[in-house]
Amino acid sequence: MSQVYVPVQWNRHKKVYDLILAGGVVGYLLLFYSGGKLLFPAPHGFSDEILLIRAFGTCALILLHLLLAIGPLARFDPRFAPLLYNRRHLGVSCFLVALVHVILVTGFYGGFGVQPAPEAVLAGYPAALRPGAMPFEVLGFFALLIFFLMASTSHDFWLTNLGSGLWKALHMLVYAGYALTLMHVALGALQDQTSAVFPALLLLGAGGLGSLHLVAGLREARRRSLTSTADAAWLDAGPANGISDGCARVVDPPGAERVAIFRHGRLLHAVSNVCPHQNGPLGEGRIVDGCITCPWHGYQFQPHNGQSPPPFTDKIATYRLKVDGDRLLLDPRALPPGTPVEPALLPQEAV
Amino acid sequence: MPWVAPLLTALGLYLAAGLLVGIPFVARGVNRVDPAAAQSALGFRLLILPGCAALWPLLLAKWLRAARRTS
Repeated sequence: MSQVYVPVQWNRHKKVYDLILAGGVVGYLLLFYSGGKLLFPAPHGFSDEILLIRAFGTCALILLHLLLAIGPLARFDPRFAPLLYNRRHLGVSCFLVALVHVILVTGFYGGFGVQPAPEAVLAGYPAALRPGAMPFEVLGFFALLIFFLMASTSHDFWLTNLGSGLWKALHMLVYAGYALTLMHVALGALQDQTSAVFPALLLLGAGGLGSLHLVAGLREARRRSLTSTADAAWLDAGPANGISDGCARVVDPPGAERVAIFRHGRLLHAVSNVCPHQNGPLGEGRIVDGCITCPWHGYQFQPHNGQSPPPFTDKIATYRLKVDGDRLLLDPRALPPGTPVEPALLPQEAV
Repeated sequence: MPWVAPLLTALGLYLAAGLLVGIPFVARGVNRVDPAAAQSALGFRLLILPGCAALWPLLLAKWLRAARRTS
């Protein structure tokens, strides 16, 4: 939604989000380091380098879990939606924290310049000390490569120039990166653990994330199956009075794109549920300042014609909608993006 | 692991080629490929440079196609 690319489209929300994120990361690192010093004092404690390596490593792991949990959480409860708004900054932060972890590891195991650092680590230096152990460093290396690709292509420029299909496929690699990271931790750091706490935490994180995605997927499938399968040109889109002011109901016409039906006062508008920016779920957003606002990155569209307010030029498809008694009827055939449509009017008694 | 050194060398060469393509691309090529980038400032260009170095074959192809269209 910009005519000229800028590094970051700052607004108050993003600044607050990033301040909390930066504060959380710095606070966690300080807590981990000082806690490690207190719990394991010299001479038998961990060295500064090992504490820092683990502080950055665990911090990246926590950020990765947050990153993957936000999507399904926002589908369960709209109060999580503001976290989606700036998820790309969380992703880039996760990569940067992981990068510091890798720089510290390569420096430390390479004797800080004594031998070529990357080779010293990738050649399985710690594994060489434990014959038969997995070269877990390689798994971490490939995970970092994936996170680098994602972080370096997170700007809108890439979405426009790679196309949404390729961009989305590239960013779905986060799940491969997550799997590699889990194996990296399980076959690496956890092998030295005598306590069950850290393995249990890792299982809890992976199990929790898996369950969240599974339940969100099942809910989605159930919602799809409940959607009317009527063959007529007009689909029953549910009761007319069930939509809160400024919010939307998402309907899923068979064989067609999802449609978000927004209520703005007594007016009802139907538009595509897919934001053209990053395929965000418009129906999970709200009407702000008279415009449908995507919950992911704040892209806005006028409800009556699906066009971004000037000077922006983005457009989404619109749909015909009418009220029949106490029911809403939707024509699921999408009109060309940006087509003005007469809104349906809610009966006074339904407001 | 005997493949580590060749892998890192190949990766280094790929990224070096990426910088060789990426730097002129963010300076000039991006303006041809995406008109929205023509007025953009240095900060944006530096921000996309790592991605350009990683995906340089794709961008080089786009740049050549855009140059052919305009020539």
